[in-house]
Amino acid sequence: MIYLDNAATTFLDPEINSSLQGYMQDNFANSGAVYEIGLDAKKKIDDATESIRDSLGIPNSHSFVYTSGGTEANNLFIKGFCFPDKKVACLGLEHPSITETLRSFKEFNNEPLFLLNYFKEGKLDYSCSSILKERKIKLLCLSYVNNELGTIIDPVSLMKHLEQEAPQTRLFLDGVQVIGKIKVDKKMWSSLAGLSLSAHKFHGPKGIGLLIYDSRLVLNPQMHGGKQQSGLRAGTLPVPLILALADSIKLAVTTQKETQIRFQELQNYLLKGLNKLTKPILINSALDDSQSAGIVNFSFPPIEGEVMLHHLEKEKIYVGMGSACSAHSKEPSKILTGIGLTDEQARCSLRVSFSRTNTVAELEKFLHAFSNTYEKLLPTFSKKTVYR
Amino acid sequence: MNDDKRTILVRYDEIGLKGRNRKYFEKALLKNIKRALPSDSAIEYRIPRGRILIDLSSEIAEKYGDCLQNIPGIASYSIGVSIDPDFDQMAELGIQWIEPLLIGKDQLNFCVRTRRSEKTFPKTSTEINFEVGSRIMSKLGPKGLNVDIKNSDFTLEIEIGENEILIFHNREPGLCGLPVGSSGNILCMLSGGIDSPVAAYLMACRGCRVHFVFFDNQPFLGRGGYEKVKKLAKIINGYQGRAKLFVVPFQDIQMSIRDHCKEENRIVLYRRMMYRIADKIAKDQEMPGLVTGESLGQVASQTLENLAAVTCVTTMNILRPLIGMNKESIIKLARKIGTYDVSVEPQPDCCSVFMPANPSTRGKIHLLEYDEKKIPLEQLEEEALKNMETMKVDFL
Repeated sequence: MIYLDNAATTFLDPEINSSLQGYMQDNFANSGAVYEIGLDAKKKIDDATESIRDSLGIPNSHSFVYTSGGTEANNLFIKGFCFPDKKVACLGLEHPSITETLRSFKEFNNEPLFLLNYFKEGKLDYSCSSILKERKIKLLCLSYVNNELGTIIDPVSLMKHLEQEAPQTRLFLDGVQVIGKIKVDKKMWSSLAGLSLSAHKFHGPKGIGLLIYDSRLVLNPQMHGGKQQSGLRAGTLPVPLILALADSIKLAVTTQKETQIRFQELQNYLLKGLNKLTKPILINSALDDSQSAGIVNFSFPPIEGEVMLHHLEKEKIYVGMGSACSAHSKEPSKILTGIGLTDEQARCSLRVSFSRTNTVAELEKFLHAFSNTYEKLLPTFSKKTVYR
Repeated sequence: MNDDKRTILVRYDEIGLKGRNRKYFEKALLKNIKRALPSDSAIEYRIPRGRILIDLSSEIAEKYGDCLQNIPGIASYSIGVSIDPDFDQMAELGIQWIEPLLIGKDQLNFCVRTRRSEKTFPKTSTEINFEVGSRIMSKLGPKGLNVDIKNSDFTLEIEIGENEILIFHNREPGLCGLPVGSSGNILCMLSGGIDSPVAAYLMACRGCRVHFVFFDNQPFLGRGGYEKVKKLAKIINGYQGRAKLFVVPFQDIQMSIRDHCKEENRIVLYRRMMYRIADKIAKDQEMPGLVTGESLGQVASQTLENLAAVTCVTTMNILRPLIGMNKESIIKLARKIGTYDVSVEPQPDCCSVFMPANPSTRGKIHLLEYDEKKIPLEQLEEEALKNMETMKVDFL
């Protein structure tokens, strides 16, 4: 099997898996209980929190809420901070857990602001600060690394600009594609309103995520029923998953440099390989520093991305896509059309995303299979229909 | 009366109307009941006239009764107690059942109904109703129990049979219709949508054992459709058992039609190929009918003209039980039989590359035949049948 859909999820690291089994076995106590084993569990969570703080350089000004994943963390922060009437903005290219959350504010007469017009050549145009100021936007939500394209924003320079030009606007980042994949700029924390992450995106277990937020901000809980996590998210804490999350972050941060070198090598090989195929392939991801090397998104009209995906699947090669070619779901990816691709280019695209264990040999096999499938499918997808 | 024993009394639906063939239908129903109930050597089955009786222990009676709710051919069933021909005993049991219902209530209406198939019993049905009813009233009347034949909250029923008397107070409805197998085997073209599983279910309730054929789009679409159809076949099979599922690889046929035939005719042409292949499988498997989920005018391929254009490629009986139903009623039925949630799982049934922009709603048969001459029809058909996968749904 060749797995190249690591932006969707990653395999569970064997080392993490093994420690998780132990945590599951040994840490059953409720961390809210007042007897010894409950207090021990609480202590382990505190240690895990400290470990995460160390690994990511998070200052004490920021607090943690453990969640079920990135989607919940995004919902909790945005709704918790802005609902019902604080003005919010995003580009419109973010994960639906941000865009749909913002859209949900509409029914409370809180129209969100979409800044897609300020997204030029793969970058956010900082002149958007004027409209942020004018519309009294309290929170700007962006993807640190875009999940379909891999575009990275520079939070430090953006926040510096916002502080000067639109000081009422705070920045919240969806960071699920970040940990272990790019170097996190520790300078960002001091001004950052919040950041979400999810363990399964960096070889940790599914079902555990984290919201890191500026504790000076007042959040309203979205889940009621207990005093856990400062009352912000009621529910018994999943001690083993939290411990495994901390381990996964530590491992991802420790191996980040070598991962990034590997990604660079893989990205170069793939881009060269696609270029050598001499087919009309359009690279949708950026090719400069504003790009995560872990994600390559490309279009190859007229062949539908989903059809290509299923043909590659037959060869046990798994890639991702952001659109669906189906009778029921003809909508192309909003992210891809959002950067100016036509509907056809957006539908005819794939996303290849790497993990630190992918190899050049795997990409060679992918390119071979892709090329063969392309040749096979081209007559069917080309517009020339033969009538006799 | 034995407290540990119960007798489930199963009433037939339309079998009761059958003349000399009645035994055949009864045998089919009994076979289906035995198949559906977990095997247990302590269970005994009897067929006195017009009923099936199942003797079993009181512990399992309710659980086994539940299984009967999904067997076509059963009008209703009751879990009863076999009792001696003694009115005091009958009344005692009635009191035992009614008394707890009176707690916290000012009044409760009840009645006794007797059905006497054994006419040598010394009292008439009305007399039995009176004998048992009056005994119950003397004990529970002061506690608020009233007799009300038209609006009773509780009905105590007594069946006087040839060799025994059964007493019960519940009637659970069955699916009605005819026992599966009594009408023969048919083949349902299952798509993964809402309609075709409902059509299959309705035919199972008309006594057919429904087998399934699915036309698979892999690798143009993923394995999701294939898995979904397996789930749907399994749900319908729960009403009948012993179904087969045939999965026919269809992508080469679709590609050929897409590349060589007129775009607007594509959908009808795909369907004509599906009908031809289904016809071949059904004939090979000795199934004298095809069933589809088509409903008149629901989509472009289901106009009168297009239905005629697909029907004419086969000499089979084409059964379309949904033809006059609207979507809302079909969805209601799909929810009832448990297929709706699976049917609406987001799995495409056709890749957009094969879909025409403007499908024809009035396919002309001579033009369709002209188009079909452009593709190696028989060769494609043969190839698809050669690579067909056959599964026994019981083992999925």
